[in-house]
Amino acid sequence: MGMSLQQIVFGVLSIISIISALGVILSKNPVTSVLCLIVTFFTIAGHYIMLNAQFLAVVHIIVYAGAIMVLFLFVIMLMNLNAEIEPQKRSWLKYAGAISGGALLLVLLAALREASVSSLQPGAVEIGLISNLGKTLFSTYVLPFEVSSILFLSAMVGAVVIGKKEGHES
Amino acid sequence: MNALISTALAGVVMMFAGLFIRNKQHIKFVAIAALLIVSVANLAELSTIEGGSRTVLGMVTVSHFSILFNAIAFGATLIYFLLSGSAFEKVGEHVADYFALVFFILSGITLASSFSNLLMLFLAIEIISIPQYILAGSNKRTPKSSEASLKYFLMGSFSTGILLMGITLIYGAAGTFNIEELGLGNGDINPLALCGIILLAFALSFKVSAAPFHFWTPDVYDGSPTVFTSFMATVVKAGSFIAFIRIFHGAFTGTNISAHWQLLLSLVTAATLLIGNFTAVFQQSVKRMLAYSSIAQAGFMLFAVISMNKYATQGIILYAAAYSVATIGVFAVTMKLKDYTFDGFNGLARTQPVLAVTTAIFVCSLAGIPLTAGFFAKYFVLTAAVQQGNLLWLVVLAVLCAAISAYYYFRVIIAMYFKQGEPATKEEITGGFKVMLVITAAIVILLGVFPGLLLNLI
Repeated sequence: MGMSLQQIVFGVLSIISIISALGVILSKNPVTSVLCLIVTFFTIAGHYIMLNAQFLAVVHIIVYAGAIMVLFLFVIMLMNLNAEIEPQKRSWLKYAGAISGGALLLVLLAALREASVSSLQPGAVEIGLISNLGKTLFSTYVLPFEVSSILFLSAMVGAVVIGKKEGHES
Repeated sequence: MNALISTALAGVVMMFAGLFIRNKQHIKFVAIAALLIVSVANLAELSTIEGGSRTVLGMVTVSHFSILFNAIAFGATLIYFLLSGSAFEKVGEHVADYFALVFFILSGITLASSFSNLLMLFLAIEIISIPQYILAGSNKRTPKSSEASLKYFLMGSFSTGILLMGITLIYGAAGTFNIEELGLGNGDINPLALCGIILLAFALSFKVSAAPFHFWTPDVYDGSPTVFTSFMATVVKAGSFIAFIRIFHGAFTGTNISAHWQLLLSLVTAATLLIGNFTAVFQQSVKRMLAYSSIAQAGFMLFAVISMNKYATQGIILYAAAYSVATIGVFAVTMKLKDYTFDGFNGLARTQPVLAVTTAIFVCSLAGIPLTAGFFAKYFVLTAAVQQGNLLWLVVLAVLCAAISAYYYFRVIIAMYFKQGEPATKEEITGGFKVMLVITAAIVILLGVFPGLLLNLI
């Protein structure tokens, strides 16, 4: 049974994204971590395209790989982070984390093995286009869309409260 | 819906109030007026509901229950504003913004009491959480406050990630976000859904600071400005519990599936009761004791989550009111004192008799002494568990833990009445503050004698 082109692309993308995601957490150098994260974002964008979610893929690259990653790099440069000043974590903490994370992984894997996932059919080619997304967003999901503005407003207020300098009080 | 819209608008009004009103005292009055309008708008919706509930766009279901819970949250916040509103000014300069953030949290709580869609659950939890991260770090003069904020933010975002993962898995299993259409557990259990439910339970346990997800609580509550700790530990916690109960009672009650999470959550409850109560015993600071006591009280509120019957819904309403009002009162008194340790309360009965009497009433209510609201609150949640049948061991444990809790609550009373000392207050105790304390204590006793006042409204 030969694999279709789609399956091959999916496999390659998945392998690259897992390897680069591991690179993010295993690399000692923060800059390498960020670069690995960018690769991960691109491969996830690839998955979006395969699901016919073209708009989401483009936004994902612009927002995450573009804006947020540039911010990350700036912070790392400004704070001059490098491996030497990384605080040493206590070793029992590492083991506890590894054991509990591993237990969760085991549970999830066992569940996924048992689960009957009905074969996913990607929607029609035009389903991920911006006009269709906009129609859904402003009809079915208009309430969550509007309510999320409260979330952003409070985050903005927070940025001002945290960021603004306090006057000359004691 | 009225409540959601009016709280969001009130938040915006508060932001502009900061622009135009220079006098910080006046900003507090604007906030109190706005809260009163919000409460009226919320209650006005009662008459428009026909047939028990009304669903808006398939996302939000407004019912008598949700309106009653909103009313309790607004009422507790009103008491909080009246008792502790003037302490906002001492935290920092952005007084109006702090009030705005409190209103945004309230709009998250109105969502938590009425969502009928997993997307709205996520938004509710986030709208409740993000302003809290900011309020925790609002005192920029002490590094402890910033540390609390950062710690809370990092852990909170991580738990939100787990919440989202859970929602995703449930969507994958059921193919819908609508909690009435999920229909989990009536046929074969999809392992994906079970995983999703477990992750959801973990994330929400974090938000209500249930053990073993409670490690952030003492540090964050201790490091944050006391006035905001008071709000986070009471109204916000009750709001998170309503979200917890709505999702678990509303969507995961299928006959095959409820046993799974019930077992898991009863273990969480047992751990929360034990850890909360035993650690609270060893605290020297009243503020830190209240942080651990809030964990212990969360253990009692979890009873309402794991037992699915009429008593559980009544119990959580009563518990939310009793616990919030009493804790807000104790915090308000603690904030007036210079020394937050138990020794700081020594001899308070002699110098400030009104403060001592009311504090004693609040503390008795927290311990669950009869004739106070806390007694019936505990009675109802434990009755709910007894009715459930298979949770008797947990009820016995809870009663034992309630006895332990009497020890650390009564330490406050003993310090006030039976020890000598000169408790120093930060400022002059005004007559208005005393009157408010007495009214608050009266509410606690009134609910303890006539719990039907609240329960008949459901």
